[in-house]
Amino acid sequence: MRTWLKATITVLVLASLPMAANAQQLFDFNGQAILPAGVGGTLTMFSEVFDASPATTPLPLDFANYQYTLVIEGLMLDVDGFTQQYSGGTLTLYQDASTAADFANMATFTDGEAILVGTFVNLSRTVFPSGVGSVAGTVDWTGGTRLDDIAPEDQPGWSFLSGTNNGADQTLPGFDEQWDGKVEPRDLIVGDEASSFGSVKALFRD
Amino acid sequence: MTNRMMKWGVLAGLLAVVLAVPASAQVAKIDYLGYGYETGGILPSNAGDELVIEAVATGADAVFGVDLGVTELTFHVSGLISTGEIVSGGTTTVNYSGGMLEIYQDAAMNADWGINPPNPTAPATFTDGDLFFQGAFTSFTLYFASGGYGSFEGDLDGLAGSAIDGSCNGCVYTWAGAFTTDAGAQIPAGYDLQIDGVFQIDSAVATENASWGSVKALFN
Repeated sequence: MRTWLKATITVLVLASLPMAANAQQLFDFNGQAILPAGVGGTLTMFSEVFDASPATTPLPLDFANYQYTLVIEGLMLDVDGFTQQYSGGTLTLYQDASTAADFANMATFTDGEAILVGTFVNLSRTVFPSGVGSVAGTVDWTGGTRLDDIAPEDQPGWSFLSGTNNGADQTLPGFDEQWDGKVEPRDLIVGDEASSFGSVKALFRD
Repeated sequence: MTNRMMKWGVLAGLLAVVLAVPASAQVAKIDYLGYGYETGGILPSNAGDELVIEAVATGADAVFGVDLGVTELTFHVSGLISTGEIVSGGTTTVNYSGGMLEIYQDAAMNADWGINPPNPTAPATFTDGDLFFQGAFTSFTLYFASGGYGSFEGDLDGLAGSAIDGSCNGCVYTWAGAFTTDAGAQIPAGYDLQIDGVFQIDSAVATENASWGSVKALFN
């Protein structure tokens, strides 16, 4: 009996060790954005999420059987200028097995199952004189069918970073900019938590 | 069929082909993620500091013929020497001189940034395999917005590598993307920048503009 208990505890302790921390976790996307005409207008962005191996996705995604799209809607321009400031708006990660995303039909990006829904805390967009630019912001995940796969303490404060390019060979008809970026957690999302040996032993008392 | 009818038939066919080919340059891209570091850190960027970038391809257009499921493309940028930073209008610009981009293809799938580069795995695991592309930077610039993020852009002269061997006359190579220095981002110790960008080849156009007269002259 003691041998069985010892073996069980050993397995539990091994299982509780954190995963290797060298793999970057992110949702990698490529998309097209429509910019607001002025302050008070909204920015939208439609993109496809790709398997960015060797980086991994924060949640396991099934790229073999589903297409994943990432969409920004309702992101309001608050301050215009060399660096624009935005607020509000939603970021939604969709999973869809039926309709291929097509930039000629934006509805193909918003069908399927909304597995993560977030709100932008802030977002800045800067376009440098050469035409390339950057977008940086913060997203809190607040909804979606897989929100509970992320621990509550890990749901807020994700980084949103993208490069932008307004070159004619980069933008598709009907869009203003090409965006290439990622959404990533501040800390790696793992399937377990580190625990002290004492807390593991406590599970076997009583 | 008369000779005249045959000429017009051929001409109609050629016009159909010409009209079907897009007039714009063909663009092929490789998407990548990685990290960079500069001598003494960045910012500031002091004249003489060297910027080094190690990255891994996360997507490649089919035209390159690379299956990233079984092979990896790794990027090693070295020898970019800072000319010092210029602060103007809320932007810090750093121009670099020199510099080389090398892309390697190998089946080992072993790229590992490690920490505090250079280290036993970086650049070693980014420079193993077969040379896929080698180019010399003719320009490279980092643009810092306030807030720890920005963009980078560079142009290259292609020198060597299986990606361009004998098949890319007149190509233009660019290296561009975005970066963050945010301390909260997933940046391994010892690296200064997390980067996300594209390596792009704008190939020579497949068609040329020609006057109607010059086309007719081909049949005279």
